[in-house]
Amino acid sequence: MAAKTQGPAVGYTTESTRTLLRVVILCFIAAAAISSRLFSVIRFESIIHEFDPWFNFRATKYLVANGFHKFWDWFDDRTWHPLGRVTGGTLYPGLMVTSGAIYHALRTLTIPVDIRNICVLLAPACSGLTAFATYLLTNEMTTSPSAGLLAAVFMGIAPGYISRSVAGSYDNEAIAIFLLVFTFYLWIKALKLGSMLWGALCALFYGYMVASWGGYAFITCLLPVHALVLIAMGRYSTRLYVSYTTWYALGTLASMQIPFVGFLPIKTSEHMPALGIFGFIQLIGFIQYVRSAISGRQFQTFLVTILVATFGLGLLGLVALTSLGYVAPWSGRFYSLWDTGYAKIHIPIIASVSEHQPTAWPSFFFDLNFLIWLFPAGVYLCFQDLKDEHVFVVVYALFGSYFAGVMVRLMLTLTPVVCVAAAMAASQILDTYLSWKSATPVEEQEAPKKVKGGLRGSEKPNVGIYSNLTKVMVSGSMLVYLLMFVSHCTWVTSNAYSSPSVVLASRMPDGSQHIIDDYREAYQWLRQNTKEDAKVMSWWDYGYQIGGMADRPTLVDNNTWNNTHIATVGKAMSSREEVSYPIMRQHEVDYVLVVFGALLGYSGDDINKFLWMVRIAEGIWPDEVKERDFFTPQGEYRVDEGATETMKNSLMYKMSYYNYASLFPAGQAADRVRGVRIPDQGPVLNTLEEAFTSENWIIRIYKVKDLDNIGRDHANAAAFERGQKKKKPTKKRGARVLRVD
Amino acid sequence: MRILSSIAPLLLLIGGSLAKKAQTDSYEEFNKLAQRSSPIKLNDATYASLTTAPRNHSVAVLLTALETRFGCQLCQEFQPEWDLLGKSWTKGDKTGESRLIFGTLDFADGRETFISLGLQTAPVLMLFNPTVGPHAATSPEPSRYDFTAGPPAAEQVHSWLSRQLPNRPHPAVKRPINWLRWASTITLVLGVGTALVSASSYVLPIIQNRNIWASVSLIAILLFTSGHMFNHIRKVPYIVGDGKGGVSYIAGGFQSQLGLETQIVAAIYGILSFCAITLAVKVPRMADSKTQQVAVVVWSITLFLVYSFLLSVFRVKNGGYPFSLPPFM
Repeated sequence: MAAKTQGPAVGYTTESTRTLLRVVILCFIAAAAISSRLFSVIRFESIIHEFDPWFNFRATKYLVANGFHKFWDWFDDRTWHPLGRVTGGTLYPGLMVTSGAIYHALRTLTIPVDIRNICVLLAPACSGLTAFATYLLTNEMTTSPSAGLLAAVFMGIAPGYISRSVAGSYDNEAIAIFLLVFTFYLWIKALKLGSMLWGALCALFYGYMVASWGGYAFITCLLPVHALVLIAMGRYSTRLYVSYTTWYALGTLASMQIPFVGFLPIKTSEHMPALGIFGFIQLIGFIQYVRSAISGRQFQTFLVTILVATFGLGLLGLVALTSLGYVAPWSGRFYSLWDTGYAKIHIPIIASVSEHQPTAWPSFFFDLNFLIWLFPAGVYLCFQDLKDEHVFVVVYALFGSYFAGVMVRLMLTLTPVVCVAAAMAASQILDTYLSWKSATPVEEQEAPKKVKGGLRGSEKPNVGIYSNLTKVMVSGSMLVYLLMFVSHCTWVTSNAYSSPSVVLASRMPDGSQHIIDDYREAYQWLRQNTKEDAKVMSWWDYGYQIGGMADRPTLVDNNTWNNTHIATVGKAMSSREEVSYPIMRQHEVDYVLVVFGALLGYSGDDINKFLWMVRIAEGIWPDEVKERDFFTPQGEYRVDEGATETMKNSLMYKMSYYNYASLFPAGQAADRVRGVRIPDQGPVLNTLEEAFTSENWIIRIYKVKDLDNIGRDHANAAAFERGQKKKKPTKKRGARVLRVD
Repeated sequence: MRILSSIAPLLLLIGGSLAKKAQTDSYEEFNKLAQRSSPIKLNDATYASLTTAPRNHSVAVLLTALETRFGCQLCQEFQPEWDLLGKSWTKGDKTGESRLIFGTLDFADGRETFISLGLQTAPVLMLFNPTVGPHAATSPEPSRYDFTAGPPAAEQVHSWLSRQLPNRPHPAVKRPINWLRWASTITLVLGVGTALVSASSYVLPIIQNRNIWASVSLIAILLFTSGHMFNHIRKVPYIVGDGKGGVSYIAGGFQSQLGLETQIVAAIYGILSFCAITLAVKVPRMADSKTQQVAVVVWSITLFLVYSFLLSVFRVKNGGYPFSLPPFM
């Protein structure tokens, strides 16, 4: 698409026609980006996906209903029962405020639109803007007219970005990636022009980014690193000074306006590079001034020494302050990026999340296709010119690929730079081989001047391509790769990233689609059949969904701010009924919800997550819950006949397999996830009773029994109900006597 | 150690003579010994006298097999941590308020004890609670530390002990400052600094060489994007057999990989990038038209073939992947 339109040699295309073409192409790109994200809306319906989006959706509804000020002070007593959550102060409000603003804007234009539809379609709409921001960013990097458009196309349909921005995935990343790319663009612009205005704009969008996503720390660390690298390369300039100081001062002030961030920018380690470089650049500015005023070689050496020493001392001071506790050390999530074994030992809750796992190579290829090998080529091209903005791409590429390798979810931050670099490489190839001009040999005597510090191989003048055959060959194969990229992206988006995960789809034997809607069925049941304030206990993964869809208070949810509370739930799930019941009573639990995939072969169920519950509980109560007890002496994790006693007696096991065998003929009960036979004699539940089981048994809800009316313990009462006569110790009664008054 | 071994029989004598007089005083004796060197090196006899039933102190005993012929890796690795814990606990509790004695019983000195306890494995860490006195526990049976998770750090064992011994002071583990390491680090830093400064005329061109930086960056990017960090974190095997005597280069499954596999993939990416770089940068600068034509044909065919191969490798990982290029269909 982009290749066709460049035609720089063609005479009749005036500047304005080209601009028009560009606008049209960019509109098409935005349309392609948006429409490729609509698979799930077309296949299923306009629905919010997954887990976190349900919270964002709930918060947005609250914002729209109650106004901004109430939202800011929102204390939510329907989560983290009985603690509650200061929601207004512990979230990134950017996403909700954006959709709230769009909602009110459309209302004033008298366009009646449901807030849900705004939430569902926000991410695709932003992806169009991201493509445009990528176009702007790439244009700053290269003079090639096609690179920007190529980058925009790549960004628009690269699965690495689509994975987090399909319609319905109403998450912070939806707008954050646009803000990330646009902030980078403004930074480059500010740096190139040395302009305070662009620096202030950069700070403004940085502030918006901070309000939107915790990943803002990526910008907070990348810009100072870029500045430091430039200084180390001896490229300090007043442009750098102006843009950096403007960005840092205004951006930090802006970020501190968010209650959740507050004073973190001057207190935590991940913000320290930005602060340190800010101080350092002041010092350099001062010394530059002195140097310009005074001459003398020795004095300058002296200054350089001071500079290096100050930097070292500053670093030492930071380490000292951290170890003395004045500056908070790296928070767990950030720290685990460097010390990769840290989370697994110390914070199992971080290690338990699937998107915090390291990335295997197929994921890179899956998410980026042929961009993954054009990317290093593009970085190489950056080394050719190596202007300030190219240094940025190199630094970003290095850090981005490291982070993406450590954590799957950070593939998202890598994707923009891959698109930019790959577009630079692709456009360089296309520009060279699509030019009609045949090469003219350079005269021998015109010996190229050796440019000092250049890349090897690029000293000779660029003469172009001689033969038309080779031109056709290379552009033809590039076209094949591009076409394959488009079909790859469509295939990946359609197959991997368009499932709402609230609604599951499967194929019937005749090829027709069958919708499995157990989640919503169960949440609807909760909404209609339980008291308004019935507390539901479940593993934290389902907390947001229960809050959003069933509108019932939960004990723990995906916010995971209180590890002990989560461990309490883990302990209740992994202990014997006699232990769990008091815990549930203390937390006023009315219903317990478990996810059970054995009937359908749904592998994301609670039994598969169970070991994490055990591990997290063990972190707090190492003497009461032991992971070892859930493994057989041979070290296997089993759920069938050979499961350990602890496993069989745990509340989670009992709730999952309660009455399950009765679905099958004797001896046929099978668990389709774990692929094992289940014993016919299922577990016995005394303190809970089954309240609801969804159509495919994915969700099972149990009601916590009240205390027994006549003071028996639950085991006795349940045994009595089942008709098992308790063998009473025959009481010795005395001889009958008449009542004597 | 030699002093200890000479003291031990002496102690036995004293212990034996005092045993009848005042059983509770055994703590004082052992504590005195522990002040000199903790954990105390035990043998069969001292072990028995330390852990006999009416006791008003707690005993933490590590039963271990340190001799190399047993090949007990765990024992060897845990021993320094255990010594550190014993030392810092006893130092931090000079008055003996926690009434805890640390002891080590090596298999060489305590064969009888190992046999009588029926121990098949080492190390075993047992904590005997007092049977009389203010902290007396209901059960005289010792509790055992679970070694299944590999050699624990002193802090982990410390927290286990602290949980077992409530209402008593728990002196923290104090790791000694490793002077040698500090000294060597400082010397090294200064040395390297000096070397760099004095050799700056040779080093600077290397540091400022753009080619070197470019190649280092590209190699780093190739490593990271081919899943090197996954290998590092998950500690995947470099290569595995396929069960038929051969080797399998590619691990089945989307979320797993082998060490060699990532290197193959990194090499493929490297070749593809190199082809792209050559086509974009080098070829248009060739002055001779014949050479240029040959170069273009060679590099674009290489690119095509290797990309086709990459797709076929990816189809091994992801069975349902529909796209492919000839010849590796």
